[in-house]
Amino acid sequence: MNIADFLVNALLFPGGLFAVLLGLFLTGLDRKIYARLQRRVGPPIYQPCIDVVKLSQKEMVIPKTANYTAFRLAPLLGFAGMLAATAIIPVAGIYSGLYQSGDLLVVLYLLSAPALALVIGASASGSPYSSIGLSREISIMLAYEVPLLLVFFTIAMRVGMALGGTAIFSLSSIVNFQLSHGSLLFDVTLLPAFVAFLICIPGTLGVVPFDIPEAETEITEGPLLEYSGMGLAMFKLTGGLKMLVLAALTVALFFPVGFGDFWLVNLVWFIFKCILVMFFTTTLIRAMQARMRIDQAYKFYLLVPTALALVSLVLTATSFRVG
Amino acid sequence: MAEFLQSIVKRSPWIYRINAGSCNGCDVEMATTALIPRYDVERLGCRYCGSPKHADIVLISGPVTAVVREKVLRVYDEIPNPKVVVAVGICPISGGVFRESYSIASQLDAYIPVDVNVPGCPPRPQAIIDGIAMAIEIWRKKF
Repeated sequence: MNIADFLVNALLFPGGLFAVLLGLFLTGLDRKIYARLQRRVGPPIYQPCIDVVKLSQKEMVIPKTANYTAFRLAPLLGFAGMLAATAIIPVAGIYSGLYQSGDLLVVLYLLSAPALALVIGASASGSPYSSIGLSREISIMLAYEVPLLLVFFTIAMRVGMALGGTAIFSLSSIVNFQLSHGSLLFDVTLLPAFVAFLICIPGTLGVVPFDIPEAETEITEGPLLEYSGMGLAMFKLTGGLKMLVLAALTVALFFPVGFGDFWLVNLVWFIFKCILVMFFTTTLIRAMQARMRIDQAYKFYLLVPTALALVSLVLTATSFRVG
Repeated sequence: MAEFLQSIVKRSPWIYRINAGSCNGCDVEMATTALIPRYDVERLGCRYCGSPKHADIVLISGPVTAVVREKVLRVYDEIPNPKVVVAVGICPISGGVFRESYSIASQLDAYIPVDVNVPGCPPRPQAIIDGIAMAIEIWRKKF
């Protein structure tokens, strides 16, 4: 891959500018649908863009007790991590990903970058509410990483065994396998893993049933409490990108198949699938559920999605030994 | 350019409430104006935020009692510029029924520059929304 291609892929499409705009669009659509579900008019779809512009024009207050460098750099860490993830995840029919092997593991590590950024920023801000928020963020992260890892491993094993080898941790191979053999979503043994992955999405995003680290009514937005102006704008951008990354990852792992070779059709189909994933995992659940306590969420993640992912793992392993 | 920026920015005012010793009547009215679907101020881009560091428009209710005064001033200082203050209810404007009480030194605008007064005990939701709309017009000119 030459350097010009790399720059275009990382900065314009599908990473970089395109990803940031699509992430903000998804967030805005989420807020709009959420309002319509409550029979409100709701904000316009481009509201997150307005919020980001406004925040970038506001003063950035840095607390006297804060560690200046860590406080300023933490938002960039999360943003950079998510931007890298958007450049790695392949989009079927348009973009084949940045690396050819091992990128599934890289994505798993990058997925924890926003949470780590929150933890670093919160601990650097020196606020007691932030430290409560960061301890909750770490607990919920420990809980949802287990099923997430199991789901990744199950899919890698399924694809690898079907190709007659060991587990393949390559997103582009997984996508190519599905393009020639049909989507993994229609494989019964992987259905529990699919459900487990969908359950992990709201926890990773930190939306309502699992927004315990940022509970604005009890610990006043937790880790984000001390952030204002540009720092907060970066965290808002990171949130939008995170939603896009998780939706794109779901599409790439379970149903990447598009229509034909024309890139525009594939792009629209991809965006539609992302919106579908977002609607069922974020908006609908946010509108129906109330916030859990941290111990309930921790137990929930270690029981339900982990059990589902394990079922899938065992089914996949045994089905290939018999057949 | 500044005109263009102002026209964008005025569609995203984030609201923060400070209770300066209020009886909770005005707080209930404020919560209902923004939080119930009927008056849906989110369509204007408004949002209640939990942290003063995120706020643009500050709604202050209550007569600013002696005990709470220092805390109100401290929270006010934490709000990043540009910001606008709305005094909600008669208490922060003149003291209301608590006027000349032993625990109240002076009204709110003796300590903080107040941009909009919304009198009433408590004010109607429409009056509070009108006050917020006026505050947005003052606030956008500060960019």
